[in-house]
Amino acid sequence: MKMDVVISGVGGQGNIFASLVISEYAMKRNLRVIGAETIGAAQRGGAVVSHIRIADGEIFSPIISRGQADLLIGMEYVEMLRHMRLLNPKGMYLLNAMKIPTVLNNMALDEYPEKSEILKAIRKYCPNGHVVEASATAKKLGNVQMTNVVMLGALAKVVPFFEYAEMKLLVAANSPTRFKEANVKGFEEGYQLIK
Amino acid sequence: MKEKKYVMGNTAIARGALEAGVRVVAGYPGTPATEIVDECLGVPGVHVEWANNEKVAFELCTGASLCHVRALPVMKHNGTNYVTDFLMHVNFTGVRGGMVLISADDPGGLSSQNEEDTRILVHQYAHLPIFDPSNPAEAKAMIKEAFDLSEKTELVFCLRPVTRVCHARGIIEFDDLPADLPAAHYEPDRERFIMSAVEMPQFGGIKRPQIRHRWLNEKQAVLEEIMEESLYNWVEGGKGKVGLIGCGMGFTWVKEAEQFLGAKLPLLKLGTLPLPRKKLLDFVKGLDRVVIFEETEPFVEGLCRRIFQEERIGVEVLGRSGFLPSDGELSLAAVLEGIEKAAPKVKVRKPETPAMDIHIPIRTRTQCVGCNYRGILHALKQTVRKHKGIVAGDIGCHDAGSFRPLELQSTIYCMGSSVPMASGMALSGVNRPVFTFIGDSTFYHNGILGLINAANNKINVNVILGENTVTAMTGFQPHPGTGMTLAGEKTTPVNVPKLAESMGVSYRVVNPYDIKQCKEALEAAVKEEGPSLIVSSMPCYLLSTRQGKKVFEPREVKVDPEKCTGCQICINDFGCPAISFDKEKKKVSIDQMLCVGCALCIDVCQKGAIS
Repeated sequence: MKMDVVISGVGGQGNIFASLVISEYAMKRNLRVIGAETIGAAQRGGAVVSHIRIADGEIFSPIISRGQADLLIGMEYVEMLRHMRLLNPKGMYLLNAMKIPTVLNNMALDEYPEKSEILKAIRKYCPNGHVVEASATAKKLGNVQMTNVVMLGALAKVVPFFEYAEMKLLVAANSPTRFKEANVKGFEEGYQLIK
Repeated sequence: MKEKKYVMGNTAIARGALEAGVRVVAGYPGTPATEIVDECLGVPGVHVEWANNEKVAFELCTGASLCHVRALPVMKHNGTNYVTDFLMHVNFTGVRGGMVLISADDPGGLSSQNEEDTRILVHQYAHLPIFDPSNPAEAKAMIKEAFDLSEKTELVFCLRPVTRVCHARGIIEFDDLPADLPAAHYEPDRERFIMSAVEMPQFGGIKRPQIRHRWLNEKQAVLEEIMEESLYNWVEGGKGKVGLIGCGMGFTWVKEAEQFLGAKLPLLKLGTLPLPRKKLLDFVKGLDRVVIFEETEPFVEGLCRRIFQEERIGVEVLGRSGFLPSDGELSLAAVLEGIEKAAPKVKVRKPETPAMDIHIPIRTRTQCVGCNYRGILHALKQTVRKHKGIVAGDIGCHDAGSFRPLELQSTIYCMGSSVPMASGMALSGVNRPVFTFIGDSTFYHNGILGLINAANNKINVNVILGENTVTAMTGFQPHPGTGMTLAGEKTTPVNVPKLAESMGVSYRVVNPYDIKQCKEALEAAVKEEGPSLIVSSMPCYLLSTRQGKKVFEPREVKVDPEKCTGCQICINDFGCPAISFDKEKKKVSIDQMLCVGCALCIDVCQKGAIS
């Protein structure tokens, strides 16, 4: 059994929290897990990516290579595109319907592709996936920073490997006390997002 | 009690050092090594500090080691370069308490100004032993053993993790920490620790440096014997006449690649320098060809060639001297391609994926929205344009001023190089005003030396010191201008105006959120002969926000579309990520979700359209 997961997003979207919950979940199931993160200057609004590799046998590289990911979690349209080719086309993607233009996009020095074009390219590459309004849901719940837990809820719905009750416990356990209740709520809402 | 935790490679390395009984830890922040120092903090009896540069950290650790306690200098490759002078002495004297240098390399330059392989500097040049870990768990085991071996051989050992080890995460076993640490003591040994060109009568009057060199040379045989038995080198059997050699992270990539091969090739795993000569020679028996996978220079490759030549072995040696890519990180694709070329009979299953035919915009980093650097950079941009100036840049968050749209700094090399480079430009006769932008952490690292030199030689440079009172780029480490140690103890921050006074450098302290004041100071500096210092003083916005402190009174800022002419000065000369330009309407607008209300853009707009 193996489950290679890539989470891509923009610094500040909470990639690392999501990757820690997923990794801990694997540990709880007595599986092996290794991973890699973007750390450093790129955290300041730059492109960030986390790799999590879960397996019941030996795992070597902490980096997931082209076409090897079973699951690609995109926290933002363009950041999903950036790492699309890490995904096995027979795998699954989970995309947060969120557009964060780059500095150069804002300045009209570079083009941000149309959402319809992006979705077309993604679906052409991999037919199996879901687009969820995670940031919109998080914002509705009062804090856009909760996008990551909403995404984890949606994940528990669409990937049977991630068992709902256990994931919820880990979201709570990893949340600072003052955000615990809200994060669990976000997780539950995320689960409901996909019918 | 053993406990298993899912942690970063740097945490594993720090834990290994603590379990080995390290007493003094010192470093200067630099990706990918930074977290190692942070993670050592909090153990009673262990001193952990941020030094103002890597050389200071290393020398401090050596002092501790000479008092028989274990010491850990931590740095990235650039820091090790900076330590070279001292390294070329401590290799001759050796140490007492175990001392392990962490020199983290960053193949691919993922968070660095350059890409290099410090194995060459530490092993080839300084003749010191190195462990090259292939993953976090091995890095932890290696550092513990390195401390023991350092004491046994009296040599500084080096652990050289690459980014993919430092920032990888894995399940790591935590052992107990030692109950107590050995007591420090010092006995003089001047024949060893006074590195000076004095005659040694007992050696027929040969000078001391040569005798110490001889000592170091004699250690090499001892090291070779140790590495021959090392558990970090091993052979995995396989079929065929083509062998693979994986060093450190290179081994990890070979293991990853094996899953895509139709046959298991003979594999030699290497994790030490010096190389285990006998193991290597045994491995190549019966092989026609070996391919060496290492990060990043063809270093082990060169050592292998030499050994095979000495032994008159005709095995073909391939690796990163052109057969594999000679720059950048190794990857699964590069390793598989190398194996396919070297062993054409082996079936290689190469992962193919469809192409993505869509434009993917790059996302470069920039100053944070609300950052005070944006104010002084804007003032500088306009002053430089007006006077046709040149700006020599330095390392730090402000370096993003050299990217689009500002494109302000013209040069960026290494820590502290901005002021001397600007000095040279001023002396070249180029006849344009010359500026430098340097942050305070970099200033205390060694940038201050350039300013002293400029003062002493009356060089006409305008030095802008971005004093945000913290090493912001690597995650807010304190420095001599912070007024606090890593452990949170209060200290006296360096008083820059007094420093400037003592050098006879004219100085002006400005608030970077006051663009008018910044511009006036810059104008005055340009008109002045000799070195001028502008201290742009304001704590880092991001850190202040996290600490619940205000560096400005936030206010709502809006664009009046009637007044906006679409001139884009607020974009091209300012570059705040919260301001965007609408190509059709030819107007700018402010994203209220991103804007933090620093209100700098109000003064940037010359049409009065922002209020």
